Amino acid sequence: MKIEEALAKLEDITSRLERGELALDEAIQLFEEGLALAAATKKQLDEARLRVDQVIEAAKGTLSVEPFDVS
Amino acid sequence: MNEERVYTVSELNRVARELLETELGDVWMKGEVGDVSRAPSGHLYFTLKDAEAEIGVVRFRGRSPVLVALEPGMVVLVFGRTTVYEPRGRYQFVASLVQPVGAGLLHAAFERLKERLREEGLFDASHKRPLPRFPLRIGVVTSPSGAAFHDITSVLARRWPLAHVLLFPASVQGETAPGELAAALDRAGRFLLDGALLDFVILGRGGGAAEDLAAFNDERVARAVYACPIPVVSAVGHDIDVSISDFVADVRAPTPSAAAELATPDCTEMANLIKRAAAHLAIAIDSRCRSAERAFHSALRRSIVREPRRLVETCAQRLDFYAGRLLGFPNAVLEPRIARFRHADDLLRLTDPRRPLHRGYSITYRVGETSPVRCAADVAPGDEIETVLAEGRIQSRVETRRTE
Repeated sequence: MKIEEALAKLEDITSRLERGELALDEAIQLFEEGLALAAATKKQLDEARLRVDQVIEAAKGTLSVEPFDVS
Repeated sequence: MNEERVYTVSELNRVARELLETELGDVWMKGEVGDVSRAPSGHLYFTLKDAEAEIGVVRFRGRSPVLVALEPGMVVLVFGRTTVYEPRGRYQFVASLVQPVGAGLLHAAFERLKERLREEGLFDASHKRPLPRFPLRIGVVTSPSGAAFHDITSVLARRWPLAHVLLFPASVQGETAPGELAAALDRAGRFLLDGALLDFVILGRGGGAAEDLAAFNDERVARAVYACPIPVVSAVGHDIDVSISDFVADVRAPTPSAAAELATPDCTEMANLIKRAAAHLAIAIDSRCRSAERAFHSALRRSIVREPRRLVETCAQRLDFYAGRLLGFPNAVLEPRIARFRHADDLLRLTDPRRPLHRGYSITYRVGETSPVRCAADVAPGDEIETVLAEGRIQSRVETRRTE
């Protein structure tokens, strides 16, 4: 899931829980879903490594993507 | 002079100096001021240039005062002699007079182009597009060997490593630079990564002398920025440098590093945001559990629940299960809740109506009713009653009752 979608979903879950209209079962299920989402998103952030490529014109009109060594 | 003669470096520099000073003599020269520096000694060093060439100029302290403060872009007339600074073998002009001649020609050209493009609408605020909040595909148009690209990737690696950076290489100075920059920008603007356009493109270079930044004042580059289908962040030179591409771009950044900073969120802040969201979740579920608990207790008070233990046990077991699955998550959010449920469980054990039965007490109901009989007046002779014992029940009929 894209990070912005995950954040929006997390906000949605929180506001639904805060309204307090859900049955306990549903609330706990939603809570678990929210925590799992938070953990997964945080993991995504922790494990991200910047990817750097360069795009060069291989032949007239044809572009090719090659890894770029930043070090 | 003997053809076989071998000069020393010092001799050659001296001869060159004498030749220049005597052959050329004192002359007037006109040019645009480039870089200016005033040495602690009070001597003034600056470059003079025109469209094709430049020369270093020195004006020693103690001559007649320069009438205006020299600034880059200003056109001046200087009077003096051409010479060689022998220790360095450097050819230079020693000015005895410096006079301003109106605004600089290059600067005037810059202003003219700027006005023309402004009138044409290339700088209009209505054309400027916002940057996406969470960019994942970032284009960069710059030199692969320059400091700018290194700065940009360093900032992104620390701040927003979720991004995928695509470099579109181009020379950033020299005659071919404007054409290369415009072409690279065009490629970046149309480039599809997994079928989608890039989120935005950073166009820039690191700091340099004013003439090194000239490509970013080129009309071709300005038009390529304007025509670019995706937002452009212009990041040319240092904070103080202003280029035409800055005016046309959707966002202007003072430096390439700053461009990477202002165009991306900080993943440390994001992680905090997520932690806060998880804490909110915990608070919300907490209050939901409390209200369930309250409802449970009040139900408990109202009537004898037939098999309440099982309910609590199921809840406690389920919470144990969730707690097990969520172990390792930093906030031990479930702990207090589990403790409370345990407490409720203990409470139930104590109030379990079966406990006293084992000690020989019993509970009596009128047949067909759920409230226990609490006093003799609740029954009348002839009523069918049921007595619940620790094991089994007895059904009987009331013979007499004593209400005292």
